[in-house]
Amino acid sequence: MGPVELLHMSVFSQSFSPCGRFLAAGNNYGEIAVFSLSAALSPDASQASQKPILNFTAHDGPVFSLLSTDTHLLSAGNGEISAWSWAELIKKSTKAAWTRKPSYETSLEIPEINAMIINPKDNSLIVGGGDNNIHIMDMETGIFKSVLKGHTDYIHCLCFKEREEEILSGGEDGAVRIWGHTEIPLSHFQTCSGMASQECARPQFGKWISCLATDSDWMLCGGGPSLSLWHLRSMSPTSVFPLPGCQREAVFYQDLIMSVGEGPHVSHCLHGGTVKAQIPCTPSSLNTLALNLKNTEHRVMTVGGSSHQIDVFTNFSYKAFSLSF
Amino acid sequence: MSSDAVKKRKPKVIRNEEGTPETKRGRAEGEQSVEMEERRRQCSVHFITLKKLNRLAHMRLKKGRDQTHEAKQRVDVLHLQLQNLLYEVMHLQKEINKCLEFKSQHEEIELVSEEEFFQEAPAEISRPHVTRDDHHQLTLARLDWELEQRKRLAEQYKMSLARKEKIHKAIEQKREYLSSLQPGLQNIMQASLPVQECLSMPFEQMQKQAEVARHLPPPLYVLLVQAAAYGQACDKTLSASISGDVDEAKALSRPPEDSQDDESDSDAEEEQQNTKRRRATVGVQLDDKRKEMLRRHPLSLCVDLKCKDGSVLHLFFYYLMNLNILTVKTKVSTTTDLSGAVSAGELLNSESLLNCLYASDHGQETPNPTNRYQFDKVGITTFADYVSDLGHPYVWVQKLGGLQFSSDGAQVCVLMGSALSASHMERTMKLLQGRLQARLALHKQFSSLEHSIIPVSGECQHLFPAKVVSGLTLVPVEQELGFVQHVLKAGLLRETDLFFMAVVERGTARLLAAVVVNPRYPEVMPLFSLSLHWKGERSGRTEDNLRAMESEVNVFRAELQGPRPGFQLLTNQIQRLCVCLDVYLEMESQVCDGSEGPKEFPREKMCLRTARGPSRLKPFKYNHPQGFFSHR
Repeated sequence: MGPVELLHMSVFSQSFSPCGRFLAAGNNYGEIAVFSLSAALSPDASQASQKPILNFTAHDGPVFSLLSTDTHLLSAGNGEISAWSWAELIKKSTKAAWTRKPSYETSLEIPEINAMIINPKDNSLIVGGGDNNIHIMDMETGIFKSVLKGHTDYIHCLCFKEREEEILSGGEDGAVRIWGHTEIPLSHFQTCSGMASQECARPQFGKWISCLATDSDWMLCGGGPSLSLWHLRSMSPTSVFPLPGCQREAVFYQDLIMSVGEGPHVSHCLHGGTVKAQIPCTPSSLNTLALNLKNTEHRVMTVGGSSHQIDVFTNFSYKAFSLSF
Repeated sequence: MSSDAVKKRKPKVIRNEEGTPETKRGRAEGEQSVEMEERRRQCSVHFITLKKLNRLAHMRLKKGRDQTHEAKQRVDVLHLQLQNLLYEVMHLQKEINKCLEFKSQHEEIELVSEEEFFQEAPAEISRPHVTRDDHHQLTLARLDWELEQRKRLAEQYKMSLARKEKIHKAIEQKREYLSSLQPGLQNIMQASLPVQECLSMPFEQMQKQAEVARHLPPPLYVLLVQAAAYGQACDKTLSASISGDVDEAKALSRPPEDSQDDESDSDAEEEQQNTKRRRATVGVQLDDKRKEMLRRHPLSLCVDLKCKDGSVLHLFFYYLMNLNILTVKTKVSTTTDLSGAVSAGELLNSESLLNCLYASDHGQETPNPTNRYQFDKVGITTFADYVSDLGHPYVWVQKLGGLQFSSDGAQVCVLMGSALSASHMERTMKLLQGRLQARLALHKQFSSLEHSIIPVSGECQHLFPAKVVSGLTLVPVEQELGFVQHVLKAGLLRETDLFFMAVVERGTARLLAAVVVNPRYPEVMPLFSLSLHWKGERSGRTEDNLRAMESEVNVFRAELQGPRPGFQLLTNQIQRLCVCLDVYLEMESQVCDGSEGPKEFPREKMCLRTARGPSRLKPFKYNHPQGFFSHR
């Protein structure tokens, strides 16, 4: 990687290992880098410990989504999903455990996979991507069980409600659809249709939904429209967050909402609708935010975006240091 | 005294006589006259006695004096005699000494030792029966023998002289003969010149050059030899020649003894002069010392590299004697006229033409570490001030001259001298030619870019769609630009880089592209940074799509390079930039709600999807035969 390539690198996805000591990140060149958090957070960390312990090319196209199961790291490239064993990765072996492709209708352009989530109850993998459909794959057998059709434009993000086993999907067409066990969406709603006077709509940006998060009855969604907190049973927005850019990822954390998107900062917001803080970071716009909650020793938040550097926050209020590709 | 006494008595007497004239006159007048007569008689007797005594005394005195005088005379005579004798004694002694010290001339003549004499001399001369006893005779004999020997040798000497004269004359004759041959040879040489040219074996030229080359300083000599060798072997168009003042060079290499004497004399003169006139100021002295330190050798080397299109790169190599480094100055001569491109004036500037031929070889500082100490003595802070006068001391120039300095990187190079020069010659010549051609190509491209025509060569047409609407203007830029800061932070911008701004316009949209061209173009890709003015200002920092456009233009070297040697790189990049702007503007109108009225840029480019991925990038990649746009 020359300095010009590094200058134009973007980090799209991150995932922590099951033990919580390693971080995997995927970039737009199709590479996955594994960083050792324990080395980077130790008191005698140096410049070298902020470099990846392993860096390999996983896919042809950009790696838009990474997901960790108990034993494997799943990465999504151009229309394919690969699994890598964490134990092997830590030993620096780069052989994929398996690679599967969902069946696509068009053959001219291979659609990307933007989001992956796991349904732990029936051990299935749910992926959504560029072909406007959601594919569900059984993890044990590797067969794609079903296809959920309904979106009219490509899917940006997926989210899973554990209690009711419902899948929420947000797409470029501006619709958020809720799917149950059948292939017909339970319900869907458009954040902007018929509600032009809604506070969250922002026509100057567009109508796409690029981030979704749920916390039992509440749902966060944002993108073209402003980031807003919805009450699912009444399907109405309760608070709208006045963040200037388009948000790409948002999570619930304790009683805060943390979101990243356009603009070089992480926004901390309260449920009431106020923006509590905006923490500055290195990349000029952010794509992904990840919280390491599995490991109490290395409880950090990492963000990545339009830069080859990934910022690490040990105290969520300020940036501690940066890992770099 | 007795006369005084007498004279005293006399008045007494008279007085007495006169004293009693009244009382005794009467009675003793008769007695008195007899007494007086008596007394008068006594006086006269006394007087006479006195006189006699006086006379006697005088005579006695005189006699005494005469006696003394006589004695003295006698003593004086004796004294004189004594002195005379003493003088004579001294004189005689001197004479004796003189005689004793007398060195006869014969003693100065070196005589053979006695044994040799007795051995060598014939019996008549040596006469041993006489000479063994008598030293005088021996000496005489030896002197005789000496005389005879000398006479004999003098004879021999005369004969030898005569022979020498004869031989001398013979030599002179032969010399005349040879010198009469010289003009004949010259004529032959002149006549053979056309033959030499015909056969392209310029012996005479080479001989002349070899003559002059003897006076070159060693690094220039190595360079000349290696360049000529390379030219003969690999590149027939390369030519090397020597220029400069040969006499001065000869003067520099004169033996030092003469000059030392001259120096001491001239120092003495100078000192005398200095006391008379005012001393030069310290600044002028320092200046002179500096000039002396930076002095160039009078001879310089000129190497001409010709390229296929007829343009020539002239390299002038100079040797700085006190600093022991080589410097180079360049000049480009082309077959076509190059004026026209305003912004491209920097490209062929002789100061910066050869910058960074090898990475980070700026040629502003001297590569010889000892020069640092020399500069400190005369107060030169940086060599960069003198570079425009003296030429650039690039590291590759030192290597071509066989000069190796310990500061050259961490490699321990075992090669020295000619081997070092030979190992670098080919690569450097190729780089130089490549550099000239790249710059000329760039110059041509710039002059057409300034007229808003992007010269895309035929081989590269497949990279771009048929219709590109955006138009270009090229502007040289000096000031700081905000959207270039990220390049500065990444350390990709250096002083030696050339900096331009291209403006691509379509409709109301204006795209500013700041271009950083490394001197080693096309080995190093030019770097573009974008800023779009359309409904607000966006840059590659704020918007992902512009960043994707930047990466489309900056990163994909293999696609944009075109055919070897890759001179089309910049024009292809600019063409691609125009294509990307078209795509951006046309796709943008699709995404926003068309609440503002008719779209400004109707969609003309074919693509399958307008947005893809979490950052919703536009399709910037052009697929050739199918002619549609897709995402990377």
